[in-house]
Amino acid sequence: MKHFLFAAVVAALACCQATAGHAQILTGSVISAEEGAMEGVLVSAQAVGSPITVTVVSDARGRFRFPDGRLAPAHYALRIRAIGYELDGPRAVQLGAAATDIAVKLHKTSDLAAQLTNSEWFMSMPGTAEQKRPLIECMSCHSFERIVHSTYDAEAFFPVLKRMAQYANNTTLARVQSRLAEREVHDDLVRKLAAYLATVNLSAGPTWPYELQTLPRPKGRATHVVITEYDLPRKTIAPHDVRTDAQGHVWYSNFVENFLGELDPKTGAHREYAIPVQKPGAPTGTLDLEADGDGNLWLAMMFQTGLARFDMTTKTFQMFPVQAALDNAAAQQSMVMPRASSVDGKVWSNEVAKQSILRLDLKTGTYELIDPFKFLPKGRQHAPYGMAADRENNLYFMDFADENVGRIDAKTGVVTIYPTLTPKSRPRRTMLDDQGRLWFTEFAANKLGLFDTKTESFKEWDVPTPHTYPYDVFMDKNGELWSGGMASDRVLRFDPRSGRSIEYLLPRSTNIRRVFVDNSTNPVTFWAGNNHGAEILRVEPLD
Amino acid sequence: MTIDRRWLRVLLVAALIGVVPTSSHAGGVGFGEDDANSGDDGPSYFGFVREVDGPGVADAKVTAALKDRGALVTRTDIMGVYKIPGFGKDINPDDVVITCAKDGYAQANVQRRPRDPSDTKDPVEVECYLKRK
Repeated sequence: MKHFLFAAVVAALACCQATAGHAQILTGSVISAEEGAMEGVLVSAQAVGSPITVTVVSDARGRFRFPDGRLAPAHYALRIRAIGYELDGPRAVQLGAAATDIAVKLHKTSDLAAQLTNSEWFMSMPGTAEQKRPLIECMSCHSFERIVHSTYDAEAFFPVLKRMAQYANNTTLARVQSRLAEREVHDDLVRKLAAYLATVNLSAGPTWPYELQTLPRPKGRATHVVITEYDLPRKTIAPHDVRTDAQGHVWYSNFVENFLGELDPKTGAHREYAIPVQKPGAPTGTLDLEADGDGNLWLAMMFQTGLARFDMTTKTFQMFPVQAALDNAAAQQSMVMPRASSVDGKVWSNEVAKQSILRLDLKTGTYELIDPFKFLPKGRQHAPYGMAADRENNLYFMDFADENVGRIDAKTGVVTIYPTLTPKSRPRRTMLDDQGRLWFTEFAANKLGLFDTKTESFKEWDVPTPHTYPYDVFMDKNGELWSGGMASDRVLRFDPRSGRSIEYLLPRSTNIRRVFVDNSTNPVTFWAGNNHGAEILRVEPLD
Repeated sequence: MTIDRRWLRVLLVAALIGVVPTSSHAGGVGFGEDDANSGDDGPSYFGFVREVDGPGVADAKVTAALKDRGALVTRTDIMGVYKIPGFGKDINPDDVVITCAKDGYAQANVQRRPRDPSDTKDPVEVECYLKRK
């Protein structure tokens, strides 16, 4: 009931924003004593009581302009993002019927550390790539701020790391969840990491024993953008995968709670659909959200195990639990691929604990366990992760723990493994375009990848910002790639033909997982969730 | 100038060792538990893809296949060299079939160099020859 109430209030507010008064014009300039007019400063406006924040970026002359009509008459709180600076003022503006022009003044911050992204901490910390590599896992649950502000020495870090290893990977600071099955962690590796972390935090003194490095502010085309944030009604909501439907509504999986979320971006109205709990006591929340050929949504149930199908007409769930023989305390389904299930009545998934693939038979409701790595050396870690299916329902999957793209022939079951060009690349999420090209991220290699399923060949591109660790990538209708991740607070737009890229800085700390591009708009519209920030994010490039 | 075959083999093996991937950990918190090369590795496979009596063929597809079970697929570099990490030690290298392919070519023949059968990790050198169609 409270959700409907919230939706009604939001809808009323948004309705007022859209219709009351005249189209509003809010413009302004950004200046500081140090730089004068400032390019690349993000200016955000949020009406009091509204869950919607709109952000624009100042241009080379320091000027900014909110899209005409986007802001209704109201009292708006203002905030900025510009590395090294804080807002002097104004901190609010009253928009009435007349056009409003404001002068936004900034001053140098005395607390640069509070503004650093994970990427910037990575850049700043001393240490070898091998020492830093384990830290890319930390971002799943929290930012580096917790690490670098801690005062633990190596000995004190040890039990902290041991404890965290037993948390479910669908854990956030707002909702910590423990695994049912204890996970084995090697003490020598924990000690090694603890010793390193104690060299980059505040255990030795009140300041960091290294210089803080920062990334430049946006400029040029990276300032031609409008960003809209939709706050979700609870801080515990962790939007993971996001996609739009034919009506333009946004659907998202909640990584830590058993709800499927729906957002109407026109009104801001928000609704949740409770997913039946399958395994009481196990961590809740879902990960992969995919559509089948009929437009119905499928969710991978993580530690709740199995899959869920959401009927978009009746708005009801059909559950597909894993049979008892395959279920145990460690069982986990993170991925689902129903795209071509109409071909053979089979839906692909994975069993994380067994490093294997699952295939659901929709007629019988039973899963088949497939070990795609059975002919490879046994001592290696593998993890089937991001998935795509072609028209014949042949599966392509990413080996997230290693460096492979895999294929399983739907008819014969024959597995083909394709090692990526870069070793230890850890391919993560993927999409298959209509030309048979598999676009994917190489999480650990800081690259975007292409696997052409026709020629069986790879291409790779470095992402422009070091330590971005891209999570996902989406090819839009114009042949441009869109990507995001958990480290840089930036959305990457990359043209693989020219190698040119634009990075749109986001208004606040943003933990991006699955990304989605709505090709029905011109220019296209980028969508993602802020997994740690309880918000849905829309990025509208202006060119 | 010709390169002594033994040295070529040494160079190829050295290159192979340099690129044999080391394992990484599965999703979630892993604390860097990678680089755990196990004793379960079978031999790797490497060699040239060449035109018959000609130069190495770049960007040729090379498949190491286990009949009806699966395959590892890679492509040659600019010199025509390929390296395939290999299967588990329970796989008999004699059951692994190496083939090569490229548009405009047909496979002519495959030559497998003799190896020490007592050394289960001795890399398997296989040269694959293509002829223009």
